[in-house]
Amino acid sequence: MRMAFSKDSMHDSRPAIDIAEYRAELHRWLDAHHEELAPRYSAPGTLDDHIAQMQRVKSILFEAGWMQFGWPERVGGRGGSPMLRTELGAAIAGRDLTDPGLYSLIEVLAPTLIDFAPPELAAEVVPRLLSGAEIWCQGFSEPDSGSDLASLRCRAVPEGDARTASTWVINGQKVWTSLAQYSDRCVLLTRTGPADSRHRGITAFFVDMDTPGITVAPLEMINGEQEFAEVYFDDVAVPADRMLGELNGGWAVAMSILPYERSSCFWQRIAYLYRRLQRLVDVAPDDDRAAEVVGNAFLQLHALRARSRATQHRLAAGATLGAETSIDKVLVATAEQTTYDAVRRLLSGIVEMDDSVAGEMWRSEYLYSRASTIYGGTLEVQRDIIARRLLELGSAE
Amino acid sequence: MIDAAERAAMEETVRAAIAGADGGAAIDEVLGKLGWLEMLAAEPPDAIDIVFSALGATGATATALDDVVVSALGTQPRADLAVLLPRFAAWDPPGRIDANDLLARGLATARAATASDMLVVCGSASEPWGVTVPMKDAEVEAVRGIDPDAGLRAVRVQGSAAVATRLAPAAWQSAVALGRRAVAHQIAGASRAMLALARSHALERVQFGRPIARFQAVRHRLADALVAVEALEASLGAAREEANPDTAALAKAVAGRTARTVAAHCQQVLAGIGFTTEHPFHRFLKRSIALEGLFGSADEIVLDVGRQLLAARRVPR
Repeated sequence: MRMAFSKDSMHDSRPAIDIAEYRAELHRWLDAHHEELAPRYSAPGTLDDHIAQMQRVKSILFEAGWMQFGWPERVGGRGGSPMLRTELGAAIAGRDLTDPGLYSLIEVLAPTLIDFAPPELAAEVVPRLLSGAEIWCQGFSEPDSGSDLASLRCRAVPEGDARTASTWVINGQKVWTSLAQYSDRCVLLTRTGPADSRHRGITAFFVDMDTPGITVAPLEMINGEQEFAEVYFDDVAVPADRMLGELNGGWAVAMSILPYERSSCFWQRIAYLYRRLQRLVDVAPDDDRAAEVVGNAFLQLHALRARSRATQHRLAAGATLGAETSIDKVLVATAEQTTYDAVRRLLSGIVEMDDSVAGEMWRSEYLYSRASTIYGGTLEVQRDIIARRLLELGSAE
Repeated sequence: MIDAAERAAMEETVRAAIAGADGGAAIDEVLGKLGWLEMLAAEPPDAIDIVFSALGATGATATALDDVVVSALGTQPRADLAVLLPRFAAWDPPGRIDANDLLARGLATARAATASDMLVVCGSASEPWGVTVPMKDAEVEAVRGIDPDAGLRAVRVQGSAAVATRLAPAAWQSAVALGRRAVAHQIAGASRAMLALARSHALERVQFGRPIARFQAVRHRLADALVAVEALEASLGAAREEANPDTAALAKAVAGRTARTVAAHCQQVLAGIGFTTEHPFHRFLKRSIALEGLFGSADEIVLDVGRQLLAARRVPR
């Protein structure tokens, strides 16, 4: 991938970094530090292992200065295009050093703090996330608010007048909160307007997870891991200076994540899927049925990668990403399921009956892949957006 | 490379000119007047993208594919030089040399009916030879098939191989790659056209007291059709940025898949009217089906790609 990087670095005083050189140097460094970075646990490992590994990798990369590329200097970064951190995420996902789903949470959390937190708070906490010192979670979904996020009810009430209160008190429940039980902080969406105020009455807060009144109850997913949790808030007092963005401006905070999720996170996911297809190709039978199945998965990954790359070029050129990234989301979700369907079709019994390490790994990942059409906005929500916003079919009945 | 504004203007010009022309030979003539061959020589990717997208979008028939293949083979294209395309669903060189005899079978565009000569490639994909034969050495038969308006011809050539010349080793692969990209652009144009027809129908057609575009089942079909078209256009972008036989093959395979997906969803949305020849949908459907067989269908390319992945045990990125 060759790109002119002059435009991307407009906000940075340093000279532009050539992406190809950066990538080459990064891979040389990763090769040289392979032993140090490689997982310490024996495969497939538990979620605890995966998280410890991720934090260890982040701290090594931070220590060496790689984690800081692509982040603004005012939060301890080294500047440069966000493409640099995308490259880093893809490189470590492509080498199986971290799980891309866990690692790319950085992309949906750090930008929120950078764009919406008081500058001194962002400067204090973002380096802690990047360096692996902390884990954060995102408290968005609720039991009655999944696809319909704007209906959320977890309530924040000011102690006194909303404009002058020094403390807000939060009551309610979140669910599907990834890594809540591991987290030090939470980017939380709360209802601050009237019950029916929808997206106009939502406010975001940055909440310390050790605040009294927060209870975390992990949920077991279909692959046996406890990656996400229910989180209960009972009279949780949060300082007013932890408000992210404006009072009742939480919807903008939530939506601001989209460009990062749909560019950088997807690119990491794609690197990971190529790696998985490689693993399948390593052991697949050498016949025409297998050729057809792997060829088909490869074709879908190729189209997805082409689309995602075009999206990143647009972002790097200064475009605002919007509804059109629902196309990327549909492609990434379906390519992921196709990849794991290919595994199930070609490695007979490995998902269903095999208790070896490889079997455990493929089974866990296969089951996890079933969620790719659900999380981050279901396929149906994406199609609704495509129909209304891109095809301009007007509103549905 | 031309800039976006220039490009949009050219697309519009080409599309309007094609739409205004009265079929077949007239379209070739219009493209000639617009400077198609000059543009193909100067900026092949832009020329191919603009002209073939427009041909796809308008459902027009032209013989510009001959020029694309001829120029990729290192020969100066001209209006009276046709080229022998591979047989349906194949992409090997269509001819073979047997002692001093040239034997070839393949497809050709409508140009085979009017040209004075035909360029025939023989040998293997990696060791191609070229022979220019007079059209009198070729038996040309019009193919009705599913899309009689596509102007395709079945051709048998029996001539002398005495004048065969060795082509550059990569010539045939480049020709196939560029041919695939041209056809894939045409399919992309046709797919966009099918989607546009289905979209207008959904907005206008009233059932149960409301336009059917209000029903989620209909909306989701059209959304999936758009996803497929966008994936194809991204693949064509990749084939241009990283121009090589592999990315062109993948773009052509994505085109085949896209055409099927788009046709299925749009035909279902168009329902009864889309099943008649009164409505233009059928022309795009049939054209996209006929085009899918040129230089290999999606299924065959996917199988070929998969065999390569398994042979090398390596997934390139």
